[in-house]
Amino acid sequence: MPDIIIETKEVSKLFGGLTAVNKVNLEIPKHSIYSIIGPNGAGKTTLFNCISGFYKPELGEIIFQGECIQGSSTDFVATQGISRTYQNIRLFSKLTAIENIMVGQHTKLDSNWLDAILHTPRFSQENKKSRAEAIRLLGFIGLAGFGDFLACNLPYGMQRRLEIGRALANDPQLLLLDEPTAGMNPQETVEMINLIRQLRDELGTSIILIEHDMRVVMDISDQISVLDYGKKIAEGTPKEIQANPRVIEAYLGPGGAALAKKYQDQRRKNA
Amino acid sequence: MNNHPIRESFQKGLVFAIIVVFMMMTGFHLIAATLASKAFGVYVLRGSIPDVRFMGYIHMLFGFWAGWSASGRTGKTSTRIFQGFAAGFTTGAFVALFDLLLTFLILSGTDIREYLSALSIESMDYFLLNLRQMGILAHLGIYTATGLIGSALAVFLRSEPVQHGWQNLKSSITNFTTRINETLPLLVRKFGKYLTYLVLLAVLVILPTKWGSYMNFVIGLVGLYVIAGIGLNIVVGLSGQLVLGYAAFFAMGAYSVGLLNAPEPHNLMWGFWPSIVVAILMAIAAAFVLGLPLMRLRGDYLAIVTLGFGEIIRILLKSDTLTNFTGGPRGLNDIHGPTLFGKPFTSDVDYVYLIFAFVALSIFIYNRLQDSRTGRAWLAIKEDPIAAQATGINLQKYKLLALIIGAAFAGLVGGIMAARNQFTGPNDHSMMVSMNVLSLVIVGGVNSIPGIILGAFALKGLPEILREVENYRQLAFGALLITMMLMRPDGLWPSSRPKMEKGDYSQNGENITNDGGKNA
Repeated sequence: MPDIIIETKEVSKLFGGLTAVNKVNLEIPKHSIYSIIGPNGAGKTTLFNCISGFYKPELGEIIFQGECIQGSSTDFVATQGISRTYQNIRLFSKLTAIENIMVGQHTKLDSNWLDAILHTPRFSQENKKSRAEAIRLLGFIGLAGFGDFLACNLPYGMQRRLEIGRALANDPQLLLLDEPTAGMNPQETVEMINLIRQLRDELGTSIILIEHDMRVVMDISDQISVLDYGKKIAEGTPKEIQANPRVIEAYLGPGGAALAKKYQDQRRKNA
Repeated sequence: MNNHPIRESFQKGLVFAIIVVFMMMTGFHLIAATLASKAFGVYVLRGSIPDVRFMGYIHMLFGFWAGWSASGRTGKTSTRIFQGFAAGFTTGAFVALFDLLLTFLILSGTDIREYLSALSIESMDYFLLNLRQMGILAHLGIYTATGLIGSALAVFLRSEPVQHGWQNLKSSITNFTTRINETLPLLVRKFGKYLTYLVLLAVLVILPTKWGSYMNFVIGLVGLYVIAGIGLNIVVGLSGQLVLGYAAFFAMGAYSVGLLNAPEPHNLMWGFWPSIVVAILMAIAAAFVLGLPLMRLRGDYLAIVTLGFGEIIRILLKSDTLTNFTGGPRGLNDIHGPTLFGKPFTSDVDYVYLIFAFVALSIFIYNRLQDSRTGRAWLAIKEDPIAAQATGINLQKYKLLALIIGAAFAGLVGGIMAARNQFTGPNDHSMMVSMNVLSLVIVGGVNSIPGIILGAFALKGLPEILREVENYRQLAFGALLITMMLMRPDGLWPSSRPKMEKGDYSQNGENITNDGGKNA
């Protein structure tokens, strides 16, 4: 199908006896924000790690733009156009913000070490272009003027955004965001939501999002999948997911689900 | 425990007393006094013992230090001064006690040299300032008085008006320099960098002809270690791989030059220049062979394997089986040096120029590499290999590249060293060499060229000049490393990253203004 950017077919990842990801099928449409939610330990990040090549799934296929990428090395996956961010920030903390972005451009550039020593025309042109683009990207993620700060000296919200900037630097087709609003205050969360929307609308990037903040998920997702114990238990639009009893049960347990149902019924009655 | 200020100063005094007694017992005071008297140009030979006043000065210095450090930062002025007095008195009392003990031992006819080889009756006399019994009292007096002075000075210098004045002075100096900078004509500002280089070049050309052969030898050694430090820094500082067997690559270079230019065992006589190329290529080949399987290892494992590699190379060179090929434990003698335009290198001055040229080349290469796609990829690998790989960096390829380039530097250094010493042997490439290079990088400052130069001077140049304290080199070395890790964990001269967003980054001579991302 042309409008599917990435597809996972029956992907499973086992850690010894534990099935972290269990036969998950996903089809992510192009230019959309696709959220994966689920309780802690549901296998969301493991699925991300399978896609980005950190883990080799034991079973199943991952098809990115018509090519199988499961089992490829992480750097190969990156060259194919998949970028990601991490649950706990993994910036290059002793490099400046702009250098972080320039490292992100790695796959886009091709000057080698000899070019660097001799300052060949290729190097000079590329360096100029890469720096200009990095500065533009800094502006895009709202870090204009902070480019020369060491990444570790930036405030938390900026670090999160810089990580997205680094992931964007090689013009990815698919962006994997692992809890981009974790630990943010409401103001920063709103800014992050706007940034993610901008990515889809202005850059046309497809985004898979792992997120625990339900307001964020319900606000920006085009589609949502729910994982629980490694299995996909539901898929649909935010509205459908909110109403799905299995999802509520996964989050709140059977007792909690019953309570929630009671509460919802009551509300409906009152309305 | 109740940290009463006075009790604390007694404890400090005790610590200083232990340091002083330890130094007296190991004879360090004598050496320090010798050095001090040399430095002041007063060298009164009486036996092998310098002027006794310097002994007094050293005691004073320690008393002063004790008082200074014991004087607290807060509290009543009188208390703070009394703290210094107490610390000085404690130090003095314990040193006096030690004096008393020694005097008693000497008087009772015990041969203390049996236990403390550094102490003789003469040096004992010397420690007591040639005052015999009165010397004990003199010690007590010196420490108490200097402790008092130290604390008083500390109180004074830490008082608000003085601190305030100091801040004012600092800010006015920075104001002054920036204003000077602003008023300088554009031409000077633009070419100031080149002017500095020109002056530096002139100094580096003229100095070696002036300061004598020994100094040239020392400076040449320092220069070689600077090159090696830069090379190792590419591996350790940029790409973050802890390689402990760096001397193995030295050996590759040294033996390449040695075997191709020594009369024994092969008598090939290729000449220096072709063989230095071979030296570099051999080091690269060794790095490649070692690196291919090694690049999957990280951290401790890599360190251990490379350490082993270094030792294997050294032991191989030493082995009897290879004697016919490598000269065995005796090494290679009479290695012929380079000739340039028909003129053979004879003096240390020639080598110093050669080494300067290569130092400049190394700095040039390093600077260009570290501010490039490759350099940034290395730094990214060092900071976070997982995230680096996820940005598309091929870890194996880049780590191997760093090792190879680093090894090439080592091969070059080894080759020059062999030609300069006209000798190379297995023990020139021991683990201590690897450790020295590594520590000079860490002490000086990882990823910082001025730091590496400083480190090379501190670790190779100073011990060479201060031959008197040679026995204490390891002691000083350890103390230096501990102090560094506590006070300046980033090295003597820490590195900084280039400023690239703002205009002063002028690699391309252009200033890119930020349009707030409108064109993104």
